[in-house]
Amino acid sequence: MNFNARISLPASVRAGEIVEIKVLTRHPMDRGGQSDGKGGTVPRKILNRLTATYAGETIFRLDMHTGVAANPFVSFTTRAIETGDIVFEWREDGGATYTRTARLTVT
Amino acid sequence: MSDRPGPSFETQAPLAPQAEGCGSRTRIAFLILLAFVAVSANPALAEIKSGTDFLSPELRRQQADETRNPGFFWVEQGRELFSRRPAGEGQACIGCHVEPQQSLRGAATRYPQVDAATGRLVNLEGRIEQCRVERQSQPAFGYETPELLSLTAYLASLSRGLPMQVRTDGPAQPYYEAGKAFFERRQGQLNLSCQQCHDGLVGQKLRGDTISHGTGTGYPAYRLEWNDVGSLHRRLRACSLGVRATQFEAGGPEYLALELYLAARARGLPVETPAMRR
Repeated sequence: MNFNARISLPASVRAGEIVEIKVLTRHPMDRGGQSDGKGGTVPRKILNRLTATYAGETIFRLDMHTGVAANPFVSFTTRAIETGDIVFEWREDGGATYTRTARLTVT
Repeated sequence: MSDRPGPSFETQAPLAPQAEGCGSRTRIAFLILLAFVAVSANPALAEIKSGTDFLSPELRRQQADETRNPGFFWVEQGRELFSRRPAGEGQACIGCHVEPQQSLRGAATRYPQVDAATGRLVNLEGRIEQCRVERQSQPAFGYETPELLSLTAYLASLSRGLPMQVRTDGPAQPYYEAGKAFFERRQGQLNLSCQQCHDGLVGQKLRGDTISHGTGTGYPAYRLEWNDVGSLHRRLRACSLGVRATQFEAGGPEYLALELYLAARARGLPVETPAMRR
């Protein structure tokens, strides 16, 4: 299991309220550079970008570098506008992307 | 105790003043010294605390918070593996252990234990492997594989909060004695025993970390040092390396006996898997 994510949101919020969103990711964040035993080096393979989209707008973007530990945790806040999905997308070195969605219920 | 110089915990005791013809003062100081040595040399008298008590408050909060403790990824993976049918004829674990939340709650508190059929000591990892080979007819996962770590973390997490209660009598007694002897024996180039640090120097610093009683109730644990979940035996190997002693095989008889002794020391302490450690 290389990638997994745990996204935590409050069960429901009132419109206009500030919401804290917590994202815990499972990823080895391999910084690379070690010998591969065949004269070459292991390439870097980390999640280099996380973006979160809500109500048609990007609300959060994080660029990650090799200094970020494995299984990174981030939390950020946004203002609740309407009930809808928050879409998280991770971009991995090598071009792979992972997407998860979390429902934000606004009352 | 050997009389070689070294970081022995007896040197922690206040030194009795040199005799200067003042008998009562010397005698009192000597009695204090005796009492101190007696207390610190006997782990049964010292209060054994769990590894969590030596964490920073921040790390303790992180451990308790399922949304922030990465160990729960392994628990989750273990839960999936538990209900997944293996290739071929075999049944999934959940086929026999229905409703693991009830049927296996508290199971981890009784390991390591002596297997009745073979008379050998097995820990939780060993029991899972045994089930997999004998009942599911599958190749063993192997110690420290992500699959075995996940299953162990999941099963141990079902006993979260329940007190450890391993048996040390009957057939387990020789293993317990062996583990105790291992714990107390000086070994390695640094000529240290487990006891010297984990009874005598508890609460003091070692390379920026705080020395704990070494109870192992949180394993498999997520260690920041590893960026990963690892077994207790991986941690024991690191300790062996630290005192420049022979590193035994993970899952081998030496560490199994030691694991039993540590579990017996931790009797009454809650299971904390998946714990976070530095």
